[in-house]
Amino acid sequence: MNTLMWRLNRSQVQISAAGLAVLAVLLLITGIAMASSYHSFLGTCAAAHTCADGHSLLFRGDGVLNALVYATVVVPLLFGLFWGAPLLAREFEAGTNSLAWTQGVTRRRWLAGTISWALAAAALWGAAVTALVSWWRLPENAVGVPYSGFDTGTFDIQGIVPVAYSVFAVALGIAAGTVFRRLLPAMAVTFAVFVGLRFVIAEYLRPHYMTPVSKLIPLLGFSAGTGVPAGAWAMPGNDSVIGPNGQNYGNAIQIGFMPAACRSDLSNGHAIACLAVRGFHTQVIYQPANRFWAFQGIEAGIFIVLAAALIALAWRLVLTRDA
Amino acid sequence: MRTQETPAVHTAGLGKRYGSLWALQDCSVTVPAGRVTALIGPNGAGKTTLLKILAGLSRPSAGEVSVLGRRPGTDAGFLDSIGYLAQDIPLYRRLSAGDHLRIFARLNRHWDAGAATDRLAALKIPLTRPVGSLSGGQRAQVGLSLALAKQPRLLLLDEPVAALDPLARHEFLSSLAEAAAGGGPAVILSSHLLHDLERVCSYLILLSASRTQLCDAIDNVLATHRVLIGPHNKPPAGVTVVEATHTARQSRLLARLDRQVLDPSWDVHEVALEDIVLAYMGEDAAPSNGMLTPIGEAS
Repeated sequence: MNTLMWRLNRSQVQISAAGLAVLAVLLLITGIAMASSYHSFLGTCAAAHTCADGHSLLFRGDGVLNALVYATVVVPLLFGLFWGAPLLAREFEAGTNSLAWTQGVTRRRWLAGTISWALAAAALWGAAVTALVSWWRLPENAVGVPYSGFDTGTFDIQGIVPVAYSVFAVALGIAAGTVFRRLLPAMAVTFAVFVGLRFVIAEYLRPHYMTPVSKLIPLLGFSAGTGVPAGAWAMPGNDSVIGPNGQNYGNAIQIGFMPAACRSDLSNGHAIACLAVRGFHTQVIYQPANRFWAFQGIEAGIFIVLAAALIALAWRLVLTRDA
Repeated sequence: MRTQETPAVHTAGLGKRYGSLWALQDCSVTVPAGRVTALIGPNGAGKTTLLKILAGLSRPSAGEVSVLGRRPGTDAGFLDSIGYLAQDIPLYRRLSAGDHLRIFARLNRHWDAGAATDRLAALKIPLTRPVGSLSGGQRAQVGLSLALAKQPRLLLLDEPVAALDPLARHEFLSSLAEAAAGGGPAVILSSHLLHDLERVCSYLILLSASRTQLCDAIDNVLATHRVLIGPHNKPPAGVTVVEATHTARQSRLLARLDRQVLDPSWDVHEVALEDIVLAYMGEDAAPSNGMLTPIGEAS
């Protein structure tokens, strides 16, 4: 079984290994350079007591390298398209399933071998890519000023979620290949469902994994930026002006709603001070930075559960349908 | 004809339905062990469906089926006992014949690697080239070698020679006859033309319009069918007319004889197997049995 899987998928493994090797070489070289410049920066800035501008001083690779790191977001999709979708669709399309299914191994064993091979490869490769990227990004994560681990360009390519995405994409490809029994429809559906689901979950579900922290802070000035702590993920409704009785005025209070006494002088400092005295506050709503791993765990869990459901579907179809 | 051995194949009322269409219906056949059987029928007659059911690749919708005394399934014990070669000889195109032999050796318990390698070597089939680059005849031989290397007790071949040129066809059937001789597996091979297979087969199943028309030893079929030429009136007693042509003065009947025709007004002639087969196929070409629409076999 393993020999068969290896011989049938050798070229995909080789291409993926080559891609991984190129990425590894690029990121290792630049990552080591970046780590050393980070450490020397820490030394100088600690002496000067200004470590805030590390972002601009740090070598972070040039634009192409950054783009390449961002581009690893598509790696799970590639696994789904080129490992998952062809895995069974190719057998059905060429009729070789009837050859494999009349050898002396049960269909169940054949399927278990085939599927586990692909899922394991996806998990392994996904883990290798995300480990490289996460390591490469360490110094940047440490000094990045406008930085949040929840940014899509960060959250989606670091930590453990890329492994879950990879496993899910391959499971999706396998299930689509089983349902459609043709390579192109299987690839098209894998692409559409993967991209659609990732978008919907990242955009609409992810903010609700945990109840956000919501609290009142002293009223912010009109151009004071946001009141959320560094690294936190601001939620919708953040930085709203809250009146003394709890009324929510949105991001900026209109002059008409301000107490009469505060309207006389609308210069920034005066109006803010006037409102603050009268019990106006700013409400901040955010997911704290230290929830990064909890969010990674929840999102990875969701995709693993979905992957398991898709594998169950493929399993059922292959074992119960005719060849 | 009955043998004491378990028949290679026994079916009763076997049927397979795809949606509302029956690809195979009311198929009752018994194939004794040790025979090479021709499964003949026009395209869409249900040959592929029957072979897939016998190979455990497809589940019947109706009736009973037993292969070598077992119900076809996906268990290893059953799979060990059969060899199956699907239509168009699907192989992993990028792998060589040698790769196939090495890989499948690990998937089967009773693998005879030596015989397969010797066969392919004798046929001068390259073991190291991807099978996708081999000729159709060579691919068919590779497929046959793989199926035989399993040392099956029943070998099922779906239209193995349909795509081959006459020389390759001849070579394939010679290989097959050799493999089946002297304690080899029972073989069922399908074709839409009897002519292809007559040389190697001693048993015949004729499917037409998804039903069984004949299932018997070829000798028996020849012995029980005659052409009767006689007066243009009722056929003699004890015959079942398969095909009748009438002219103004006389009738020509191709009939199965349940007993000898003694009526001297009928001339009795022997008839070639091919004519018998064509007559049975023609019978169902007529819309008498029109509830059935032949449908594509590939599914």
